[in-house]
Amino acid sequence: MEIKQPQKLIIGNKLSDESFITLFMIGVLIILFGLACLVVPNFYLPKNILNLITNNWFIIILGIGVTFVLITGNYDMSVGANIALTGVLSVYFCQGANVSQNTLANGLGLPYGVAVVLALLCAMGVGAVNAFFIAKLKVPSIIVTLGTSMLARGTAQVITQGAQRNTSLPDAFGVLGNWNLPGTPFRLPLLIMIVLITAAFIFERKTIFARRIYLIGANPEAARLSGINVAKYLTMLYIFSGLLAGITGILLASEYQAGVSSRAMGYEFDALVVTLLGGVSVAGGFGSVLGMFVGAIILSVVTSAATGMLLSPDWQFTLKGIVTFLAILAQRYALDKRKG
Amino acid sequence: MNNTLQKNTFRQQIEHSAEIRANIKRYYIYVVLALIVMAFSLMKLDQVTFFGRGHFLSPDSIINLLRSAVPILILSGAFTLLMISGYIDLSVGSAMSLTAVVFSWLILNGSPFLVAISITLVLGLIMGALNGLLVMRLRITPVIATLVTLNLFKGIALLIVPDGTSAIKSTPTQTMPGWINDFARKDVLLGLPWAFWVAILIIVLLTIVQRKTILGKYAAAIGGNRLAAELSGINAVKTIWLLYIIVGFFAAMAGVARASYMSLGDPLSGDGMEFNCLIAVLLGGTAFAGGEGSVTKTVVGALIIICVTIGLMTVIPPYWENLAKGTVLIFAVVLNHLLVQEKIKA
Repeated sequence: MEIKQPQKLIIGNKLSDESFITLFMIGVLIILFGLACLVVPNFYLPKNILNLITNNWFIIILGIGVTFVLITGNYDMSVGANIALTGVLSVYFCQGANVSQNTLANGLGLPYGVAVVLALLCAMGVGAVNAFFIAKLKVPSIIVTLGTSMLARGTAQVITQGAQRNTSLPDAFGVLGNWNLPGTPFRLPLLIMIVLITAAFIFERKTIFARRIYLIGANPEAARLSGINVAKYLTMLYIFSGLLAGITGILLASEYQAGVSSRAMGYEFDALVVTLLGGVSVAGGFGSVLGMFVGAIILSVVTSAATGMLLSPDWQFTLKGIVTFLAILAQRYALDKRKG
Repeated sequence: MNNTLQKNTFRQQIEHSAEIRANIKRYYIYVVLALIVMAFSLMKLDQVTFFGRGHFLSPDSIINLLRSAVPILILSGAFTLLMISGYIDLSVGSAMSLTAVVFSWLILNGSPFLVAISITLVLGLIMGALNGLLVMRLRITPVIATLVTLNLFKGIALLIVPDGTSAIKSTPTQTMPGWINDFARKDVLLGLPWAFWVAILIIVLLTIVQRKTILGKYAAAIGGNRLAAELSGINAVKTIWLLYIIVGFFAAMAGVARASYMSLGDPLSGDGMEFNCLIAVLLGGTAFAGGEGSVTKTVVGALIIICVTIGLMTVIPPYWENLAKGTVLIFAVVLNHLLVQEKIKA
């Protein structure tokens, strides 16, 4: 009779898988950054490094919502359209009423603050619609969110007749997007992004809500049997994701002082890419917003290096596809190796 | 005796209602198509006569409709087969664009039609094989894997088109031969082009595959329960890989049809085709996770989408398109849920 050898206990390996992957991606980031510095002159200038983070602030905010949704094993592809819709609505609600003959210059004439609140409510409404179909009717999230994406963008296009609304705006409109912390180049959207990501990271690590989200992703049936109201959590996550998209939409509309129906095209794919780059597993139950942040910087490095190498912008699609693909494979390889 | 009578009628009632439900499920889509066609036929009757010029059911309009429907008709059959097996391919739109670009590039640079179409179809096989590799061998989730290939194909298509132009088309130095249009536009039978009849042939073929061949049965088995199918001896990896290759092949053919129709290769022409196919499949009653579905009903769904898109183009401004399509998608999802998912709950 064979005596089985005792299993090798993994003692002393205090680093969680999530932290391992985040560190792994930071390593990848450093390598890519080094390569970029070799290929592109002046890549290492502090101004450029700062740009790497500030260029992507909207993707990072979206990425927070997408990360939590992806951890539960679902997708949210409606965030880009949500941004456009919220921006257009925030313009439409506070454009002066009966100002001119042109219908695109007439709005509802509400005060800016009210317009912002209403637009955010609509953004959350989109999230609620998503949640209804996904949590209640159990329709696959990729299909639902692509559908709501079409609805949201379609609504934005109808309100702007396919173009944009940018006239008869109150003076308060351009403040939020363009406000500078006095004496620094830090604009309000960037500060909001920093606050949100810090809050998200603390939330992810410390709250029971977040722990339950991980369980829902890892094993939905076990979560349900443990008494977690999965539908309620999914609803809250999708409404939260919609709210984040709404905030981004308001800020972008304020920055450009226009509600453009074609804004934020493809942002949902970028948000998904940076989330995947950051190590969030598509199977659910694994990942971190910090990883997503690192993933956003990786994407920044890749795209600005590509621009610096004078590659045509058409390369972006191919690069994003290849980078995502390599990242998924590398992460899986690293995790498999670790598990021994 | 009274009780037995009551029990019989009760059971009859249940059977009767189940029968009604089964009939609704089998025929609802034809009813929807008929309603939509009727709705569009009743529009603008103050300006045009029934079947006259400009009317929805006039010969010109019907021919135009069917000609525009060719790419989705070609593609939706294979897409259905893949969805029956529970797998999805979101890259078909970009695959279509890429093959359209390659095909027009070949024709522009002097290839004869048969050579160009052969090369393009081989490209389609390769693209499908790539998708299969990512999903089955590397075991990446189909959604993510096909999103990756979507970006990859779109990027390659954009790179092939020279900077400064929007598509592969006639330039001051090279002209696109006029016969490129023949495949998708020239009247061959009943006013409809070769491309349309090829599409019909493909639909018939794929219906036979779905209903009568082992491949169709295996696809449904894998969709129903992949583990059970594999334990029964079905090689899921080979079967699904083959289905992805088939989808790639027909995406290429759809690309050829689109390029021929427009006489140019537009790297963005296929954008959104995957949504159209998805809506058609959902309308046709295929369950999301697979296991059941029907090529013919998907084709009817595809016709519904074409009617709605083309019909709306004549009635409302173009910027309503996304809202309309989104509404149709949500409608298809709800319909699909009511009719199909109900069965799974029981």
